[in-house]
Amino acid sequence: MSTGRSSGADPAARRGRAAGLAVVVAALAAVVVFPLFDLLRSAGEAIGDGGVAALRSGGGEAVANSLWTSATATTVAVVVGVGGALLSERVGGRFTGALRVGMVLPLLVPPFVTALGWTRAYGPGGLLDDVAGVTLPGLSGGLGIVAATAAHVAPLVYLVTAAALSTRARPELEWAARASGAGPVGAFRRITLPLLAPAIGGGAALAFVASMNSFGIPAVLGIPAGFPTITTRIFQDLARSASNAAFARVVLLATVLLALVAVVVAATDVATRRADPIRPGASHEPARPPASRAPWARGLAWAYLGFTAGIPVLALALTGLTRAVGLPPSPDNWTLANYAEALRGDFVGPALRTLLLAAAAATAATALGLLLAAVSRRGASRGLATAATLTFAVPGSALAVAVLLAYGPWLRDTLTIILIAYLAKFWALGHRSAVGSIGSIDPDLLRAARASGAGPVTAARRVLLPLLRPAIGAAWLLVFLFGLHELTMSSLLYGPGTATLAVVTLNVQQLGDVTVTAALASILTLPGFVAAIPLLRRRNGRFG
Amino acid sequence: MSPPALRVSDLSVSYGKAAILQQVSVEAGPGEVLALLGPSGSGKTTLLFAVAGFVALDTGTIEIGGTTVAGPGTHLPPERRDAAVVFQSYALWPHLSALETVAFPLRAAGERPEAARAEAARLLDAVGIGPLAGRRPAELSGGQQQRVGLARALARRAGLYLFDEPTAHLDAATREAIQAEIATRRAESGAAAVYATHDAGEALAVADRVALLRDGRIVQAGDPAEVYERPTDRWAAAITGPVSILTVHREDGNVLVGGVRSAASVPGGAEGSVTVAVRPDWAALGGDLPARVAAAWFRGPHSDVVLDTPAGRLSLRVEGRAGVRPGDPAGWSLHRVWPLPD
Repeated sequence: MSTGRSSGADPAARRGRAAGLAVVVAALAAVVVFPLFDLLRSAGEAIGDGGVAALRSGGGEAVANSLWTSATATTVAVVVGVGGALLSERVGGRFTGALRVGMVLPLLVPPFVTALGWTRAYGPGGLLDDVAGVTLPGLSGGLGIVAATAAHVAPLVYLVTAAALSTRARPELEWAARASGAGPVGAFRRITLPLLAPAIGGGAALAFVASMNSFGIPAVLGIPAGFPTITTRIFQDLARSASNAAFARVVLLATVLLALVAVVVAATDVATRRADPIRPGASHEPARPPASRAPWARGLAWAYLGFTAGIPVLALALTGLTRAVGLPPSPDNWTLANYAEALRGDFVGPALRTLLLAAAAATAATALGLLLAAVSRRGASRGLATAATLTFAVPGSALAVAVLLAYGPWLRDTLTIILIAYLAKFWALGHRSAVGSIGSIDPDLLRAARASGAGPVTAARRVLLPLLRPAIGAAWLLVFLFGLHELTMSSLLYGPGTATLAVVTLNVQQLGDVTVTAALASILTLPGFVAAIPLLRRRNGRFG
Repeated sequence: MSPPALRVSDLSVSYGKAAILQQVSVEAGPGEVLALLGPSGSGKTTLLFAVAGFVALDTGTIEIGGTTVAGPGTHLPPERRDAAVVFQSYALWPHLSALETVAFPLRAAGERPEAARAEAARLLDAVGIGPLAGRRPAELSGGQQQRVGLARALARRAGLYLFDEPTAHLDAATREAIQAEIATRRAESGAAAVYATHDAGEALAVADRVALLRDGRIVQAGDPAEVYERPTDRWAAAITGPVSILTVHREDGNVLVGGVRSAASVPGGAEGSVTVAVRPDWAALGGDLPARVAAAWFRGPHSDVVLDTPAGRLSLRVEGRAGVRPGDPAGWSLHRVWPLPD
């Protein structure tokens, strides 16, 4: 990146870049900066209006619950994620590919569907109860939230750690330590662990932020048990209370959540900034035969995957097929009535709406991400890119409250306000993918096209675009998937006629219709798996 | 008599269904340098890594200094094998300085911190980068990094050194310096070594014995002069240095080119055509044999001349300028050939 793609002296290119920058800045300001500013301003007013008292009553418990469940879930996720990464990258041998897919697969299930699945698999009257009379104690409440959240965020730690194990803490560095006389423990402690530390720290921060921001899991496992977290308290206050005190509490809780996440992100950034650079050139290693072969590694990984995602999703699918709760899920109790119910007129509108929103968000986020990646090259515009990535860490609950404050007066109960929130949250995904793919393209390829007689447009069309197309497609699919599964912001912003499928599923669940909920959740998860096949195929082998 | 520094017998390694090494047997005597010469993908690195203990064997045994380190039911971990490794990619730890890196094996061997640091500093001085002891890998050039890698291996004080293409990533000038450094330090230590490379000149220069590796099998093994002068087939001839393959006529053991008798001879009585290998120094310009000049390149100390002869295309080397131009008819002489199987 030391040499710019287009020459800075080209006035047309410079004008084009300035125009692109203006568009990006305006978009960022409109969907992120303005709403968050409004949230902070409202928080200031709420404090003046005695909102602190409102926050104390009921809010304190939610904050404490969020903090301890997130911290505990993060600890579990770090153990599972780092252990899984060591297993797939060091022990896995020829099962490495399968292990990688298995560790990441749980990400494809929307978190609230995971939580629903856990209740149907391990809760009272669940699959395990039917089959073996076993239930997990404390599933509804704090412990259940910890377990389901840990299972959901562990892949984040895994991805970061596995990537670091293949790029920073390369196997050869550990081998060099062994060949220098260190034992396996010494080599791990003195070489691999110090090299992994920044990644583990970053992964833990990611997991903690994701846990704090998580809404679907505490909504399913916490609300019925009267166990509030920050996100579910915001949801309940906003959706079920019209009092000013409750709204002040919503604003303050959203601000507190935002502040907590910001502190963690900033602290991690400071702590991991001083990482020893990897020398470029020395890092591309040919594939080497593995040091060991361990079939048990695959068994362990599949058992984990089965427990955290496989059995729950299966239990959910079976519940969706069963005539009534309480009946064992055997073939003579099977029916398609729940799916018929789920596909009835009431749910067609939300389904179409969800597809439309997800597609629009995916298209806009990918386009903006590409534009940002194209115009941000050096200096100040790099900071802009960082800012966009940071918005992904902003809690969906806080973002939704902020967008509601900023645009509610004009756009309340419209699809547009939901789309604004999606865009604010998801464009970082499109951007990161675009930056990665543009950065990996050798500028000489474009120079070669120009030197072969192509104009700038032809060069971009014939060389740049074909090379970027897979990444653009993957980014679009990723945002589309997140859009399909989005619940946190949609549940705070929907109104009459703008409920998405996820919101409808949550509402049906809160009303207690277990079988239809299960059918809806299955329908919601299926397209994710279908859409994810190309994503997984593309990333087959190497993640991160 | 002391046991060989390394004895590899009947070694096979596979990765999934792909066989990487098949029935490989090689040996290096005490203080000997064994070069593994082969193209990339021939299994050189895997063989070295199997000896080091990074790779598990399917079959076969490996002995280092008379101790069986790998074989049926035995797999000593790398730290318990008397071998030090210098890596192609340097494999320097990004978070440790040169001094800490070289002190690592000494600390692992149980030396106290101060003694380890003093010895590490001495070793860094010995490989010529004493002043850079405080630097981390990212602050060192490729050649400096490999000097650290070499010092780290020396600090292991092992009976066997394993060099995995240590100069592959270096530019030509640095390569020669590092090659010389490695040869000097290795000789000082008196330890044996296995040196993997795809460069014939490097292999012939550093080795007491050369083993040619192709697709995971040993094609030929012998001392450098032997593999250079008596390659077993065309592939072995090509990997061990510049060579021309000619089809000549044999009559009473003499070699005839275009009906003209040369000074070279091939054993065997039967009359007929024979495929032979000719090294550039086995033929010379000037003589009775007929040819036309195809190309001539002046390279400073010498010139490479390519001749179209009735026996095929031949490259030879003359000192200074050749004094011939493409298209010229040229007489030449041949004083040595090596017959190859067809």
